[in-house]
Amino acid sequence: MSENLIEIKDLKKSFGNLEVLKGIDMSVKEREVVVIIGPSGSGKSTLLRCINYLEEPTGGEIIFDGIKLSGESNINAVRKEAGMVFQRFNLFPHMNVLENLTLAPMKVRNMSKSEAEALAELYLEKVGLSDKIRSYPDQLSGGQQQRVAIARALCMKPKALLFDEPTSALDPEMVIEVLDVMKSLANEGMTMVVVTHEMGFAREVGDRVLFIDGGYIVEEGSPEEVFNNPKEERTKNFLSKIL
Amino acid sequence: MDINFELLQNAIPLLLAGAAITVEVTALSVGFGLAIGIVVSLARLGKWSFLRFLGNCYVDFIRGTPLLVQIFLVYFALPSLIGQRVDPFFAAIAACSINSGAYIAEIFRGGIQSIDKGQMEAGRSLGMTWWQTMRFIILPQAFKRIIPPLGNEFIAMLKDSSLVSVIGFEELTRRGQLIIARTYASFEIWMAVAIIYLIMTFTVARLVGLLERRFETK
Repeated sequence: MSENLIEIKDLKKSFGNLEVLKGIDMSVKEREVVVIIGPSGSGKSTLLRCINYLEEPTGGEIIFDGIKLSGESNINAVRKEAGMVFQRFNLFPHMNVLENLTLAPMKVRNMSKSEAEALAELYLEKVGLSDKIRSYPDQLSGGQQQRVAIARALCMKPKALLFDEPTSALDPEMVIEVLDVMKSLANEGMTMVVVTHEMGFAREVGDRVLFIDGGYIVEEGSPEEVFNNPKEERTKNFLSKIL
Repeated sequence: MDINFELLQNAIPLLLAGAAITVEVTALSVGFGLAIGIVVSLARLGKWSFLRFLGNCYVDFIRGTPLLVQIFLVYFALPSLIGQRVDPFFAAIAACSINSGAYIAEIFRGGIQSIDKGQMEAGRSLGMTWWQTMRFIILPQAFKRIIPPLGNEFIAMLKDSSLVSVIGFEELTRRGQLIIARTYASFEIWMAVAIIYLIMTFTVARLVGLLERRFETK
């Protein structure tokens, strides 16, 4: 096994004529929490979505857990190891919470129903929603839905979790409950890549912060370095607007 | 004018038997049409461009030509191709199924595309295949949304199946024609035929409404 769980080399992604990622090199070690920040349109979500091939890169390579991603042939093998949490939750509205959590473990991991349900109960308890096991997504608040979505990703026992602006669609009072769950995951050693605007979270939980702008990684370092002593003008400019 | 009730009394059982055949043809055609429609809609949404092309050709051809001509193609043109007569029942079911399949493919396509694309992404990001995600996540949600247009398609086919009367297949309309040929009672019989169609379509519309409400509460 390689030291880096995720390794990205010269990643490029264009949508038509628009080049969103212009050559990204980055790596994520096991148990590391990498926070990606940057202005909207900078390509940070696209970068995250390339990691599990929801967007197919137009150049460069991604190596996940020693496997080089190459489209359909091995993509499902990698996706089940890289859980994803979306900005808009994307729970399955026609299934209750338990079914949302057990579907993929049963279909992809070939778990038995009782195995999958036991796992679902475990992770629901972890996100503090054991009492919602029979609820449908539309009966839950945004914060609760996002916690269910995190539990759903965890039920696949992934090696890493990718968070795509997980709190951006939430009312302010619900942001905390989701961040708390993410913090406890980080403390337990989950490898995480988080695209977020929550600078408090980045500072407190992040091992490393990447600032992306214009399709490149402009600056990277520990939260202290990036937030307290940004070297690049663009980073300073960005931080002065949001802090 | 006088309405000949005695004649009607004798004709109604014959017409009702024809109506049963109309329902049978419609149910079979929409049933096969569903199977065709789902396969074709998936082909048109899938990643193989050749299948997409075939699916588009099929839908364009069927929607761009009259059902009556399609019935003639199956009943009169097909035999010269295969060198064998085609049974009217087979021709009726085949033509109506192929016709219905194209419209149902469009209904399915609309239903599938109306599902938020985040659902496919969520399924795929959990490691499920495209087909697993379709089957367990997208289609169950799409089905709920296409019940009303499917009901419309059923009603449309119930009425359009009257066209198979031209190849001598004895469904409701053809029965009416035959009785009139014997009795000349055009007014009574066509009124009776119309009312029977109306009762059938109205009943189906009601059933679809019930079905819709049942799915909504869940």
